[in-house]
Amino acid sequence: MKDADLAIVGAGPAGMAAAAEAASLGLGVTVIDDNARAGGQYFRQPPAGFRHTGAMFLDKDRARGSVLAAALRHPAVAHWQDAVVWDMPEPGVLAVAAGEGSGRVRAKAILVATGAQDRPVPFPGWTLPGVVSAGGLQNLLKGQRVVPGRRAVVVGNGPLLLLIGANLVRAGVEVAAVVEAAPIWNRILPALASLARAPDMLALAIRYRAVLARAGVPVLAGWTVTGAKGDEAVTGCRVAPIDTQGRLDRARERSFDCDLLVAGFGLMPSLELPRLIGAELAYDRRRGGWTVKRDADFQCSVPNVHVAGDGAGIGGAEMALLEGRIAARAVARKLGKQVPADDDLRRAWAKRDAFRRGLEAIYAPPASFLDLMTEDTVVCRCEDVTVGDIAKRRSELAGSVTQVKATTRLSMGRCQGRNCLVTLAAMVAKDTGVDMATIPLPRPRPPLRPIPIGDLAFEDIPPPDIPADPHLPRKQRA
Amino acid sequence: MSRIDEGLERGTAFAFTLDGQKVEAYPGETIAAALLASGVRALRRTAKRQQPRSLYCGMGICWECLVTVDGAPSQRACMTEAKPGMRVETQKGVGR
Repeated sequence: MKDADLAIVGAGPAGMAAAAEAASLGLGVTVIDDNARAGGQYFRQPPAGFRHTGAMFLDKDRARGSVLAAALRHPAVAHWQDAVVWDMPEPGVLAVAAGEGSGRVRAKAILVATGAQDRPVPFPGWTLPGVVSAGGLQNLLKGQRVVPGRRAVVVGNGPLLLLIGANLVRAGVEVAAVVEAAPIWNRILPALASLARAPDMLALAIRYRAVLARAGVPVLAGWTVTGAKGDEAVTGCRVAPIDTQGRLDRARERSFDCDLLVAGFGLMPSLELPRLIGAELAYDRRRGGWTVKRDADFQCSVPNVHVAGDGAGIGGAEMALLEGRIAARAVARKLGKQVPADDDLRRAWAKRDAFRRGLEAIYAPPASFLDLMTEDTVVCRCEDVTVGDIAKRRSELAGSVTQVKATTRLSMGRCQGRNCLVTLAAMVAKDTGVDMATIPLPRPRPPLRPIPIGDLAFEDIPPPDIPADPHLPRKQRA
Repeated sequence: MSRIDEGLERGTAFAFTLDGQKVEAYPGETIAAALLASGVRALRRTAKRQQPRSLYCGMGICWECLVTVDGAPSQRACMTEAKPGMRVETQKGVGR
């Protein structure tokens, strides 16, 4: 068992910023991250073996990322790489799988900074090779400097699409179109006051749009992908406009040839650890679904557990950096350290918060994307469960996510429901006419990620409390 | 299907194999990156419907890019670094 004042799960923007802040305030910090290098997704660093010879477009945030990552080499910080937090077996204790380094850490406070994942939106052909999530594409570009195609279409919903379109253009890929589900152009004016709270971000968006315009890439707003074509890999896609009632106008469908289809329907927090420990959640329609309920110090309903950054609710990297610092200060204050006032940080945070509300207003998606699916669309990728498989069970199941799970094996594969449970919940909500906010997701169970069973052999756990008389209940010694 | 060379130098290329065919990779590259850069599309086939699948999330949470590495099945190509001489096989079903 290792001991720490603060254990941080995740070395992305929130985790790195929190570690630096906590260490500078005199706390002993342990950072546990499932990647080989710190940075998370936003500050993803290329491998150490790559030598940088000059700045190019993918290096925009690399210097900042390196500075943040360097903070993890502070003597008061232990950085556990390639390590997976798979359970919180008791309050303040995290179980970590990391090969021979597996074990547990006990901390006075825990900061969950587990970031986000792409929201899964199934459409016909979305499982074909060459259909890549927005986050996955960004990781290949930033972390590996590889482009997985020659002619791309970027589809989905949210501000990442313009960035990805621009990045692909700058990487020399022919981008046939960027297809955004929200009718963003009509919504910019009313949201302008909120957007102006973060002029740096606004300037970036304008720059990405300009890159696309110069390359002659059409941006279809108020359109959505309706299907990917191909047998062994994607060869093209179909797109259609969405009318003012949110219905697909398939009569006006268009198609594009492509060997890369980037699908990004916005991000959602990785809530598995908060859900496992029973943290209270709040359904925030504007923000795209479930978020973690937190107080002003970003502490959740579980005492001494803070949740910062996109892992609590999507707000982006700049907001995550601020939340990490504020949460670290709150922990330091509670542990009796001298901590400066947070006024500056909180003012900066409020600006980012106003900006993200503006973005949410512009990018508010249609009520659901369920109409994109057909009978043989795969909902659960791991277990190959299709819409048809679920439909067969619908009548008998009276709208319970857990029952559909048990009878179809949906969400019981390796990804543990990360890419299907929200779709199933939306299907159940639509089928039974109830609000998504009233449909609880099944409680995750440890291990939070698939881990090799051998890792458990390195656990330094105490022997179980077994009574002398095995017929007596535990703890009641004979 | 290409590597972006602007602004960086990769180390010395080495080879590993995919289903017995040589694939070029650079130090630090993941198996997925090397394969995608070489034009490989499908990395596995699903157990139930034998569908082709490949990299999707790119960050280790979807388990779609599973391959067999040196005989060990179900390794995530997006999270596993390629090494010289590695034997990678596209995976059918659960890989055993």
